[in-house]
Amino acid sequence: MKTVILIFVILAGGLLLYGTMDMPAWGDPNSPANTYVSPRYIEEAMEATETPNIVTAVLADYRGYDTMGETTVIFTAAIACALLLRGIGSARKEEDES
Amino acid sequence: MLEFIISKYNFWFYVILMMIGLYAMLAKRNLVKKLIGMNIFQTAIILFYVSIGVKAGKVHVPIIIGGHGTHHAIKAADYLNPLPHVLMLTAIVVSIATTGVALAVLILIYRRYKTLNEDEILAIRQAGRETGA
Repeated sequence: MKTVILIFVILAGGLLLYGTMDMPAWGDPNSPANTYVSPRYIEEAMEATETPNIVTAVLADYRGYDTMGETTVIFTAAIACALLLRGIGSARKEEDES
Repeated sequence: MLEFIISKYNFWFYVILMMIGLYAMLAKRNLVKKLIGMNIFQTAIILFYVSIGVKAGKVHVPIIIGGHGTHHAIKAADYLNPLPHVLMLTAIVVSIATTGVALAVLILIYRRYKTLNEDEILAIRQAGRETGA
């Protein structure tokens, strides 16, 4: 079983390594990721949002609704943890007594 | 050839990290080790995305120099790409949430079965089914 998994992992990794052959070079300023939409954000974020930190401007202003949904994710995780671990300390105390 | 390696080797490290994480998720029998493998996998993806936003040369982090006092034109070539950083901030939040819930579930599994080994848990469940419990 472990050899099957190892072969699968190596196949997946080899496929990804093959995929990196077409990636733009590391740090290339003219790569698609650096020239398609990001210049607009860098040049206009200060004017549009009055926030010098562009990451903050995008996170809290352009993508404000996404960040609000993200707080829902954190809230759901916190509620799930609280419900799962509810009463776990008192249960241990009962075990000790019995 | 050397130039090719220098321009790509960071991606290869992330692929290796991803393979380590995937192998741990699939092959390890301890549930905590599976969870650690998932975290390694997520870290590989995050590093990959952040490295896409790098621009070589004399480039600043994506914080406007001079802050609110600047009135000169901002050139995009002077700053790193901020968008991968923002996306990975979201991914880190999701990874924290999933890790927290998974650890809570693992605590409950350990309390019920007194082990975190997948095979032992399955054996205990099989034995319970045969006795009709």
